[in-house]
Amino acid sequence: MSAPLLAVEDLSLHYRTEAGVLKALDRVSFELDRGEALVFLGESGCGKTSLARALLRLLPRNLAEYSGRVSLGGTDLMALSDERFRREIRWSRVSIVMQAAMNALNPVVRVGEQVAEPLTIHAGTPRAAAMERAARALTRVGVSADFMDRYPFELSGGMRQRVVLAMALITEPELVILDEPTSALDLLTQAGIMNVLKRIKRESGTSFILITHDVGTSSELADHVALMYAGQIVERSPARQFFRTPAHPYGEALMASVPRLRDRTEPQPLEGTPPPLIDPPAGCRFAPRCARRFAPCDRPPPEARLDDGRRALCWLHGGAA
Amino acid sequence: MAMLSPGRDRRLRELSAFGVFVVRRVVALVLTVMVGVYLTIVVANMGGQVDELRLIQIRADVSEAVRGDPGIAPADRAALIEQQVALEVERLNLDQPFLWRSIDYLRRAMLLDLGRAEQMTSDAGSRQVSAIIVERLPATLLLFGTANVLVFVVSILVALGLSRRYGSGLDRTVVALAPTSAAPGWFYGIFLILVFAFVVPVFPPGGMVAVPPPESPLAYALSVLRHMVLPVLAIFISSIFVSIYSWRTFFLIHSSEDYVEMARAKGLPDRMIERRYILRPTLPPIVTSFLLMLIGLWSGAIILEQVFNWPGLGTLLFQAIGFRDTPVIIAGVVIFAYLLAVTVFLLDFLYAALDPRVRLGPDGGGR
Amino acid sequence: MSARSPLARIRRYPSAVAGLAIILFLVGVAVYTVVAIPHAQAMADWRGGDQWRMNPANASPVWTNRLFGGNAPPTLTISSDGAEVESAVFEGGRQLRIPLAFDFAYDDFPSEMTLLLSVLGTDRPAFVQATWERPDGSEVRLGAHRIAGEDRIAISRNRALEGRLGQVPHIGLFTDQTGPGRPAVLPGTYRLTLEAVLFDPGAELRAELVAFGRVHGLAGTDHLRRDLMLALLWGTPVALAFGLLAAVGTTVTTLVIAAAGVWFGGLVDATIQRLTEVTMILPVLPVLVMVGTLYSTSIWLMLGVVIALGIFSASIKMYRAMLLPLRNAPYIEAARAYGASDMRIILRYMIPRILPVLIPAFVTLIPTYVFLEASLAVLGLGDPVLPTWGKILNDAQAQGALYNGFYYWVVAPAALLMLTGLGFALFGFALDRIFNPRLRSA
Repeated sequence: MSAPLLAVEDLSLHYRTEAGVLKALDRVSFELDRGEALVFLGESGCGKTSLARALLRLLPRNLAEYSGRVSLGGTDLMALSDERFRREIRWSRVSIVMQAAMNALNPVVRVGEQVAEPLTIHAGTPRAAAMERAARALTRVGVSADFMDRYPFELSGGMRQRVVLAMALITEPELVILDEPTSALDLLTQAGIMNVLKRIKRESGTSFILITHDVGTSSELADHVALMYAGQIVERSPARQFFRTPAHPYGEALMASVPRLRDRTEPQPLEGTPPPLIDPPAGCRFAPRCARRFAPCDRPPPEARLDDGRRALCWLHGGAA
Repeated sequence: MAMLSPGRDRRLRELSAFGVFVVRRVVALVLTVMVGVYLTIVVANMGGQVDELRLIQIRADVSEAVRGDPGIAPADRAALIEQQVALEVERLNLDQPFLWRSIDYLRRAMLLDLGRAEQMTSDAGSRQVSAIIVERLPATLLLFGTANVLVFVVSILVALGLSRRYGSGLDRTVVALAPTSAAPGWFYGIFLILVFAFVVPVFPPGGMVAVPPPESPLAYALSVLRHMVLPVLAIFISSIFVSIYSWRTFFLIHSSEDYVEMARAKGLPDRMIERRYILRPTLPPIVTSFLLMLIGLWSGAIILEQVFNWPGLGTLLFQAIGFRDTPVIIAGVVIFAYLLAVTVFLLDFLYAALDPRVRLGPDGGGR
Repeated sequence: MSARSPLARIRRYPSAVAGLAIILFLVGVAVYTVVAIPHAQAMADWRGGDQWRMNPANASPVWTNRLFGGNAPPTLTISSDGAEVESAVFEGGRQLRIPLAFDFAYDDFPSEMTLLLSVLGTDRPAFVQATWERPDGSEVRLGAHRIAGEDRIAISRNRALEGRLGQVPHIGLFTDQTGPGRPAVLPGTYRLTLEAVLFDPGAELRAELVAFGRVHGLAGTDHLRRDLMLALLWGTPVALAFGLLAAVGTTVTTLVIAAAGVWFGGLVDATIQRLTEVTMILPVLPVLVMVGTLYSTSIWLMLGVVIALGIFSASIKMYRAMLLPLRNAPYIEAARAYGASDMRIILRYMIPRILPVLIPAFVTLIPTYVFLEASLAVLGLGDPVLPTWGKILNDAQAQGALYNGFYYWVVAPAALLMLTGLGFALFGFALDRIFNPRLRSA
């Protein structure tokens, strides 16, 4: 088995707020292989967006802690200076499609210009060649090259999202992070975007990290699923296994709450709310809402590895690992 | 099928949309100026002064003409004068109702035919109000133009730099000093004169150029520069801190826009982000607030110029007050209105040039 | 965070507290002034005249002089009431010998010297001869006068005396130097002896020697001998009232008009926009100048014009931009659905949304109007009867205060103006940060 593209170990990101230190990411660890799509699933506020920020070193002003080990194709990312990170990693090797692309495009710069920007800045490509590649990138995501001369406000939401996607792919990065790429779009456009992503993954072998709360769309693209809860990864399983039989009770509850097309069973909503990230409880963070909680759950659970590749942070699957 | 490339076609359509916008603004502004000037005339005439002025003017003109004509016997002069005056009155519709006359006066004011001064004259001796004003206008433009440009440029640069260093000592100092703009320029001017012209005599306490003015153009220019230091400094101090403060606040609020974060994620260098992603999109509304500041500055010109004895429009107006020379006062207001209208137009133009949403309308440049 | 009361939040900003403190101080001074020095009396006093005649002209404040180590003289009044008068009666009258003695040990000369004489109890003129004696014993004859009723003898303007002394009398009489160089005060006891002949045995002569000082009171005096303190104090309520009334008048009306324009839209909105543009190009100060010159400079008229011009100011554009998106907001639609009247929607739903921007803008607007009123006064278009800070500056400018070194005349009102401006501006800017969360430090 070849070395993973991305290896993350004990990544933490804490914010400083008026009410205290908010532990958005609490020693998160995972791996991503080349050409693989990893989906981060979870409710709002579980730390998913902070993960995207942490990987691209887009740190807030009220930062309290940023630590861990991140290795991209052998390069130690945390060891790089800000300037080197900007020049070598951002967009050249890792790009991002942000949540709600409505506002992700500069309103006073033309679309073609913006899509070509990463090429001219990072690769030093001359303008004419860059614009040509931009046009091709746009067509690849399903946007006619006629729109190169338009301004963002002249495009619909779905088209803007595609433009942002084209922009993210134009430098042919090794990894593309997508933060809720379809949540603000209607179903048809959603389907369209997911198809584009699938095609690109097939054709170029780009690795994807997809961050979402939408179980449905994630199931289309995912090779692996990482389930996030209260700043931690509580399950990490191959996609097929996860959607059929999640290992963690939270995963079970999540799948039970999703309506099925061909199934008669009623979806069961999950009661309660996630714990605050400012002073998270000491033991298993899901325990208060877990139907299967028992005595050991007051202590932090170990990572249990199951045979079929599933991994879960839960006492139910065995004692100390 | 021969067709313009879509790109060029679009640009042409965009340009024409922009042109339409410009024309519309000019027309609107001309109308606005007309209304403004008309209001001025109405207000100024409510005391019946304007008509009396013109009557006097006519009488003076006619008397001069008649007296200057050697072919007319002194005995006939009085009768001839009355006759001519009556003719003039009829010709100029002074026997018509006020509404007609005010419109006539409006027409003359718009064409900058501002009449004659009562007592003041230009340095060349002309009584024509327009000549008097044209003489003084460059001095005002020089002073305020320089000061405005200086404040604009410095505040942008500093504010951009500050938006990166939010919360730093420099940032907090600027914020603390913002309230200093509560005082207008002339106020600081008094203190500056007190300190730098009397207590520590470094700069001249007033005037535009040394007396007697130096012969060589270079020495003249230098002398003017030296006299400009204190008044420009006064204007600068009274506007700079609040200017930096509001630009910096704006930049700050806009730094948290999504597309700025996107630009950062794209790995663009900081300088480029500042220029293209923060400055350019926020220029339109900031240009508007700059406009407001400019208007305030123009308005305060009178006192500032008076304090520094700067021979511009402001002192002209001040002297006119002293002389109660009404045509000059009215003309002064009209000129100021014109200057402001031009400023408004320039900035509207800039606004449209910078923000495609304004010049293309909500539907874009056409499909 | 909005659970915390605004008052508590204000306390966290030192600039807000400072600003508020200044404002309260000024309000206190204003209230005190209006109560302690009633309006009518203040106006009457300020108009100048006899009540100031015992003040020196252009005297600086006592404390500024002492602060820089000076020892300038205050006004000294030596009256015959406290003197040892020698009286000798003769046939048909009396002969009096009045010594007016005083100590003078200051390091600067008086600014002026006047002798006030009154003959009481008769209308027959009296004959008075005055002799001046310096501490070193030297005597100077000041001359003889015929006095009837009340008379003022301006010793310092006596040309003949000046010629004899070689300097102006109020300097010459106090020094023993006659040569070149700056004369120095001769310290010691001085005596002005009056020898008077009254042609009526029952008559009395009252004499007062006034050596006008170079310092006076807390604020000094102006060219008309008026105590500047009066104008400084009374300027406070005038400035505050003008600023507040103008700011309130414009802000409230602007607000309602902007909201009405946005709500009713169409022609109403377009008209308001055009009116705004017209007002924007009319320069405020020059128009005020025109009105002041052609009509009257009464402060109420000025206030009226200021408000009229201020209502349709550019702020309307800003409020409009903020209110426009609200027009189609769901909760407004809901209000219309349940039948709320237009007025109610404007007042209860739209206006509260812009209050967070409005309040700081209002507070920061006040100093603009305070300075506007001062500007008018400096130009000579101030209210003719009211003593305001701008009026003091105007007088100072006209009298060439800076050229003559009467710095206090300019600095005092300017400092008060600055203080007022700062107070409101500090408070206003802090309010801006409090009400707009995005401006707060993260």
